[in-house]
Amino acid sequence: MIYADNAATTKISDRAFEQMLPFLREQYGNASGQYSLGIKAKHAIEQARKQVGAAIGAEPSEIIFTSGGSEANSWVLRNVAEFYRDEPLHIITSSIEHHSVLNSCRALEQIGVEITYLPVDSTGRVSIDVVKAAIKSNTKLVSIMLANNEIGTIQPITEIGQFLHEQGILFHTDAVQAVGHIPVDVRELRVDFLTASAHKFNGAKGTGFLYKRSGRELSPLVFGGKQELGRRAGTENVAGIVAAGYAIEESISEMDEIANRLREMVNATINGVKKRVPSVRVNGNMAHRLPGIVNLGFNGISGGSLMHLLDLKGVYVSTSSACASGNDEPSHVLLALGLNEQQARSAIRISYGKYNTPDEVKAIVAAVCDAYSKIKANQ
Amino acid sequence: MWSIAGRTSLRSASDPTLKWSNCVEKKSCYVCGKEALSKSEIGLTKKLLDKDSKRFYCFDCLAEYLEVDAEILLAKVEEFKKQGCKFF
Repeated sequence: MIYADNAATTKISDRAFEQMLPFLREQYGNASGQYSLGIKAKHAIEQARKQVGAAIGAEPSEIIFTSGGSEANSWVLRNVAEFYRDEPLHIITSSIEHHSVLNSCRALEQIGVEITYLPVDSTGRVSIDVVKAAIKSNTKLVSIMLANNEIGTIQPITEIGQFLHEQGILFHTDAVQAVGHIPVDVRELRVDFLTASAHKFNGAKGTGFLYKRSGRELSPLVFGGKQELGRRAGTENVAGIVAAGYAIEESISEMDEIANRLREMVNATINGVKKRVPSVRVNGNMAHRLPGIVNLGFNGISGGSLMHLLDLKGVYVSTSSACASGNDEPSHVLLALGLNEQQARSAIRISYGKYNTPDEVKAIVAAVCDAYSKIKANQ
Repeated sequence: MWSIAGRTSLRSASDPTLKWSNCVEKKSCYVCGKEALSKSEIGLTKKLLDKDSKRFYCFDCLAEYLEVDAEILLAKVEEFKKQGCKFF
């Protein structure tokens, strides 16, 4: 098996796994408990909060653990809409956001919130000038992802954040694909809210976090106890939170070395496929991109078919289109780049992680090219 | 004005001979010539090679073409059915 879908999820690291295990067995106390078993669990959570805060340049008190990125994205958008519920509200986002942002925006439109979906250029970048032009007197929030999950394009968040800070407009970034993979510093980015998910950086599934700049308003997501700064009641996922803390710490310590390796793997993939399939198209931005993600378009074939043939060979990559039913919907991200529907359906995403090897890259290149040939030969 | 889809569904409802399965064109295997390929064989060709494919394969010939075991293809058919894929 060769797993190359690390933008979807990653294998938990050995260290994170070992650190979380005791909190599922020996140290299983409720972190609200006032006895030593509970106090140890509470201490472990606060330790993880420090680890996460340190990793992104935040104070521990600015970190709220969640179930993942989607929860946090949805929370921020709904929170702002709720806070400004008595006045006309305008929110800006981009057309290539994750569905947890886009569908939250669609839901807010149903209750009268005005949403502007910014276009991107042919490489998936949002222009600061486009952001500036979209600002209205009642714009209260801008939500732009730090890096795109399908094409890996990194947005000019620092530039946008600086501008929005000067305007006094709240800024949220979905950093799910970025945290643990490229340097992320919330002070430098000038963001008010940032979301991340632990299973994208070799933590466990079911845990993420929301960074909330000190002083910013955030209504409780769940009412009840005082967990998570009184904003998200319910017994904490102690094991998952502990794993998140160690996983992010490990990711930061290895970041430069792994990023270099991933870039080499991506370059080897592009060059290797291009040798046998010269018409292959690389979707996304070549300069501003995540180190491990490459999105390849193959004219005249279905990315879904390619993905399934690779699956038969034990190679796991993803397709940009949603095709569980035979009605493959073209990727909204690729359409936003200006690709036509056929081109948008022809793409696959290969996303490498720290456990991939150069030998696996060679095998993937061979498998992709072989599968492409099989499909083309049948046409 | 009725849409084409609307007219089709109305006719299907009143005419049992116009069931979807009866509308599927009879296909034969491009390699061995096996006739009357099953819906799963036709669906698998569409799913794995091209939804607009003009050539179709029986399970054994598709397995040979793709260089995989036929059992793997049969397992994939079950997966696709569980996903609700319209090809199956």
